[in-house]
Amino acid sequence: MDWSFYAQLLLNGLVMGVIYALVAMGLSLIFGVLEIVNFAHGEFYMLASMLAYFLTAQWGFDYWTTILVVTVVGVAVGYVLFEGLRLALRGEAFERSILLTMGLSMVLQNGAVFLFTTNSHLLESKLSYQNVVLGDDFRMPVARLYALGLGFAAFAVLYLILHRTRIGKAMRGVAQNRAAADMVGIDARAVSRLAVAIGIGLTGLAGAALAPVYAVHPLMGFSFVFKAFAIIIIGGLGNISGAAIAAVMLGIIESFAGGLLPLALTDAVAFISMIAVLLLRPQGLFGRGVRV
Amino acid sequence: MSPRALLLTVIAGLIALFAIPLVTDNDYILALGISFAAMSVLAGGLNLIYGYTGLLSFAQVGFFGIGAYTATLLVVDRDWSLWAGAAAGGALSVLVALLIGYSSLRLSRHAFAIVSLSFALLCAIVARDWPELTRGSMGIPGLPTPTLNLGGGVRWRLVDPSDFYYLLMGFAVIAHGLIYLVVSSRLGRAMRAIKLNEPLAQSQGVNPLAYRLMALSLSAALSGIVGGFFVFYLTIIDPSIFDFYYTETMLISVVIGGPGSFWGVLASSAVLTVVPDLLRFTTDLRMVLYGVVLIVAMLVFPGGVGGWLYRRQVKRWRRPRPQPKPTATTP
Repeated sequence: MDWSFYAQLLLNGLVMGVIYALVAMGLSLIFGVLEIVNFAHGEFYMLASMLAYFLTAQWGFDYWTTILVVTVVGVAVGYVLFEGLRLALRGEAFERSILLTMGLSMVLQNGAVFLFTTNSHLLESKLSYQNVVLGDDFRMPVARLYALGLGFAAFAVLYLILHRTRIGKAMRGVAQNRAAADMVGIDARAVSRLAVAIGIGLTGLAGAALAPVYAVHPLMGFSFVFKAFAIIIIGGLGNISGAAIAAVMLGIIESFAGGLLPLALTDAVAFISMIAVLLLRPQGLFGRGVRV
Repeated sequence: MSPRALLLTVIAGLIALFAIPLVTDNDYILALGISFAAMSVLAGGLNLIYGYTGLLSFAQVGFFGIGAYTATLLVVDRDWSLWAGAAAGGALSVLVALLIGYSSLRLSRHAFAIVSLSFALLCAIVARDWPELTRGSMGIPGLPTPTLNLGGGVRWRLVDPSDFYYLLMGFAVIAHGLIYLVVSSRLGRAMRAIKLNEPLAQSQGVNPLAYRLMALSLSAALSGIVGGFFVFYLTIIDPSIFDFYYTETMLISVVIGGPGSFWGVLASSAVLTVVPDLLRFTTDLRMVLYGVVLIVAMLVFPGGVGGWLYRRQVKRWRRPRPQPKPTATTP
C-alpha cells in the first residue's frame, strides 16, 4: 500500500464522482424547474450507455461521434419527456409524477431486459487498452481520463449557461420561485422544457462517457440512480452546484471505502451519508434555510 | 351496502376462505390463496401509508425482506421459534421504518419517497454483498419445517400447504382487521386530513409527523411479520426477496384498487394474484405490462376503482331527492 494505490483510488473516485455529478445534476435540474423526481432517470442513463455500445460496436462510430450523437439524442428525448409529462400532469401532482416516471422506468428497464437479456456487454475499442502509465505501478485507462475531462467540460458549460446567459438565469429563477418568475414575464414552459432537455442530455453524456469504462447491461441504471438520489438529498434538493460537489465527494469516499472496507459497507456509504445529512442538516450540505 | 349486510358478507367470505382447504387439497389453489394472503397484507400496508396518509413509500418490500431475513436467521441459527422470529422481524422493520421515516419526513414528502426507494434498493444490494450474515446471493435454501407452539401444550407442525394457508390467511385477517380499525377510527380521519391538507390539519392540532410515523410503523410491522411467515412457506430465502417485482405488484394493487379505499385494494390484490398466474407471461414482459398499466392508470383512471365508486356515490348523494307528492311533477 503505497502512494500509487491511494492515487489510483483518488482518481477512480474522481472519475466516478464526475459521472455521478452529471446524472445527479440532471435530476436536480429537473426537480428544480418541475418539482418532479424523475424515477426513470437511471433508465435514461442505461439507454444512453446501450446506445453508445451499439453505435460503437455495431455501427463503428468513433468515440467522439458516439458521445455527440448520444448527447444530442438525450436532449431530444428530454424535450419529448417534458411535453409528455406536461400533458400528463396538471397542478399539484407530486405522487402522480413519481408513479408515472416509475411506470416509465419499469417499461424501459424490463423492455431492455426482454430485448437485450441481462447479459453484460463490454464496449471494446481502441481506447480500451490504452493506459496512461506513471511511475512503476500507476496506470489509468484513457477512457476514464476522457470521462473525467468530459465531465469537467460539461460542468463548465452548465455553469456558464446557468450564470451567464439570460435563459440560464431564467431557469434558476423558475427553480427558485415559479410564481415570481411568471410575474416578471419569464416563459416558464419554455425554460422548463430546456432544463429537462439539458438534464436528460447530461445523463446521456454520462452514459456514453462511462460505456467504455464499465460493462453495459439493462439493469445498470437502477443501482446507479439510487446513488444519484442520495446525492441530490446530500447536496440539497434542487441545488445544482450542491449536487455536483456532493457527487464528487461521494465518488471519492466510495472509492476509498471500496479499497479499504468490506463490500456491503461500501454499498451502504451513499445511503448512510444521506441519512446522516437528513438527520443533521436536512436542507442538504449546501442548502440554505429550509423549514423543517 | 348497509353496515349489517357488509358484516354478513365479510363473515360469509371468511367462512368460505377458511373452508377452502377442507374442500380441496389442490396445491395450486392453496398456493394462490397463500400468495393472496401475503400480497394483500403488503398492499394493505402500502394503502395505509399512501392511500390514507399520502406518503408514497417504496420501502415496503424492504420491510418484507428484513422480516423474512430476521425470522430465518433467528430460527435457523439461534433456534428461536417462528413466533418469536417473525415478531423480531416485525420489530426490526419498525425500527428501520422509524429511522428512515423520521429522518426524511422532517424535510418533505419528496425526500421520503426518494429515501424509501433508496432503502429498498440498498436492502437488495446488502443482502447480496454481506455473505457473512445473509449467505450472499446463494441465500439459505431448505429452511426447516417450523413448529408453532399454540399454547396449552398443543404444537402445530407446519408441514402441508394447508397449514401455511391457515397461518398466512389467519394473519392476513388479523392484519386487515387492524388496518380497518385504524382507518375507520379517529386515527384514520386524522391521517386523511393530513393527506388532504397538511397545513389545515396542523392548524387543528394534528401532528403530521406523529401520525405518519405511526402509519409507517404499523405497515412496516405487518409487512415484516408476513415476510417472516411467507419465507418458511417458500423454504428458501435469497436476495430476490427484495425483488422490485413485489413493489410493482403492491403499487398496481393500490393504484388500481384506489388509494384510500380499503375494499378496493383488497379486491384488486385478489385479482392481481390470480390474473398474472393465468396469463403466464414471461416475467420481463409482465413487468413491462405492469409499467404500462401503471402509466395508463395514472393518466386515465386516477383514484382507481375505489375512487370511481366513491365519485359515483357522491353523485348519487347530490341527486335531487324524489318529491314526496307525485302530483307536484312539472311537465
